[in-house]
Amino acid sequence: MDPKTAMYIAQAIHGIAYGMVLFLVSSGLTLIFGMMDILNLAHAAFFMLAAYFCYQFLLITGNFWLALLLAPVVTAFFGILTERFLLRRIHAYGLMSQLILTVGVSLVILAAVKIFWGTENLPVKVPDYLSGLIMIGGLEYPIYRIFVILLSLIVLAIMALLLYKTRLGKIVRAAVSDADMVNALGINIPLVSTFVFGVGIWLAGVAGVAIAPILTVFPGLADQMGMDAFVVVITGGFGSLKGAFIVSIIFGLLSSYGVQFVSQLAPLLMFAFMAIVLIIRPLGLFGERE
Amino acid sequence: MNIKLKWLCGGGILFLLLFYPKLFGIYYTNLFITFAIFAVYSVSFNLLLGFTGLFSFGHAMFFGVGGYGTALALKHISGLPLLAAVFAGMLAAAVFALILCPIVIRVSGAAFAMLHLAFGQLMFVMALKLRGLTGGEDGIGGFPLPPLRIPGLFSIDMKAPENFYYFALLVLGISLGIMWFFVKTPFGQVIVGIRDNVKRIEYLGYKVPQSKAVVYTVSAAFAGVAGSIFALFQNLISASALGILTSFAPIVNTLVGGMGSFFGPIWGSAIMEVLLEITTRYTERVELVQGLILILIIMFFPRGFIGLIQLLKQR
Repeated sequence: MDPKTAMYIAQAIHGIAYGMVLFLVSSGLTLIFGMMDILNLAHAAFFMLAAYFCYQFLLITGNFWLALLLAPVVTAFFGILTERFLLRRIHAYGLMSQLILTVGVSLVILAAVKIFWGTENLPVKVPDYLSGLIMIGGLEYPIYRIFVILLSLIVLAIMALLLYKTRLGKIVRAAVSDADMVNALGINIPLVSTFVFGVGIWLAGVAGVAIAPILTVFPGLADQMGMDAFVVVITGGFGSLKGAFIVSIIFGLLSSYGVQFVSQLAPLLMFAFMAIVLIIRPLGLFGERE
Repeated sequence: MNIKLKWLCGGGILFLLLFYPKLFGIYYTNLFITFAIFAVYSVSFNLLLGFTGLFSFGHAMFFGVGGYGTALALKHISGLPLLAAVFAGMLAAAVFALILCPIVIRVSGAAFAMLHLAFGQLMFVMALKLRGLTGGEDGIGGFPLPPLRIPGLFSIDMKAPENFYYFALLVLGISLGIMWFFVKTPFGQVIVGIRDNVKRIEYLGYKVPQSKAVVYTVSAAFAGVAGSIFALFQNLISASALGILTSFAPIVNTLVGGMGSFFGPIWGSAIMEVLLEITTRYTERVELVQGLILILIIMFFPRGFIGLIQLLKQR
């Protein structure tokens, strides 16, 4: 294979890996919005928190797989506490209050992280068999990025099974389209909401752990990802998982090829894409409601 | 409150404002100018949120465009009068709003908010990347600060902080006055109608999208004035004026003050300014304190300061 094709494929793998991580974060965001009408601005802060938990668990146990398993769950627990004791109480006061509250939560998380772990970049080391390069068809790829893609696909498959093949998934999908009606049918929507919020945060947590070895762990980790995830949710359409998936992959590829060809303007490409989509479809690619 | 007491209060406040620099010194004068800038900025934001029901999550772009407009005008046009520079900032923000109108007027609610978040971020990134125009991270600083001059009558040097205080107070006061008047016109009632019941307003024969566009542009123009004064005050405008934190300030101020009333955001700005001053003086953990304050306010005073006053009055 000539070097040019190799470069294209390597960038594609980069892009898809980032896109998959982006999808993990934005799918939680869009699920939470679809089900509960909450724009969770603390989502990226939880994503960062999970990365820190991963670092901490790795420090204690030395086992990456255990950290991968535990960190998202612990993060989700904090998310559920936030939903149960803060967000639910102010549901009646509308979108604005929820936004401010979630920003308050993200500020507190950011401050807590700085108090406990400081502000420097903390490295996360993966097991040796994940950190090398792999040869496929005469080309070298970083194994970890392929692992990230596989991990995301597994999580995606679990989510899809849960959402489309179980009774609970049916309830969640019904609640996304009309929560009040489902509540009136005698299903405990507040409980389901808490569950969905927890799962959303768990997804962000998995993404946080997955990204930690690539970018290292630092307080600014949330900034980039939070903004990207929001743009994905807007462009894909609020509450649409399909939209979030397609747009995540497009953004991943845009950013990796953008850095390759027009490095100065790479951050603009994503926003330009969003602006074009929104001018044509104000509610996003697959958005059906405001 | 009877009329006499009202006049007395008004006179007292006016007196205080006039002699403020003499009474409190330079540090608190500068603090007051910052407060006044953010009060006008927050009130302009609340024209959209409180009166029209449109939640702009990227109002910083108008603030920033106003600031950059003024700074660029002063940098590139030599001998530009001060008021013309402020007007340039206002015009830049208003024109920018008019350009966005066709896109943003069609949506409302969360989509409107997120669209603004995204456009605001786009402007922020552009300010960082278009170094030739905006100076990137460093921003535009050290542009000339012309004196306030009316030919043949007087010329006041703006480099003296005290003089600048009066100038800023005048411009921002007039801006507040115009917005107050704007809300009280029949048109101001129509936009409240749009907030409460779009269908009925449409049925009564008012043009909803056009009305929204007018409020939007007015709001942007005054955010631009605030940004313009901010740029003059700092003699510097940088990308952080377009950043997410600048977008966030008027939201917090409005919510803390109470979004139902015209004066709510002003109270909110004052409260947040004082809180910030106290927290930065006594603790390193500004983020933690700010986050906790936000959570506490939302949980226990969801209607803001004005709501609290109303509650106390009813008792």
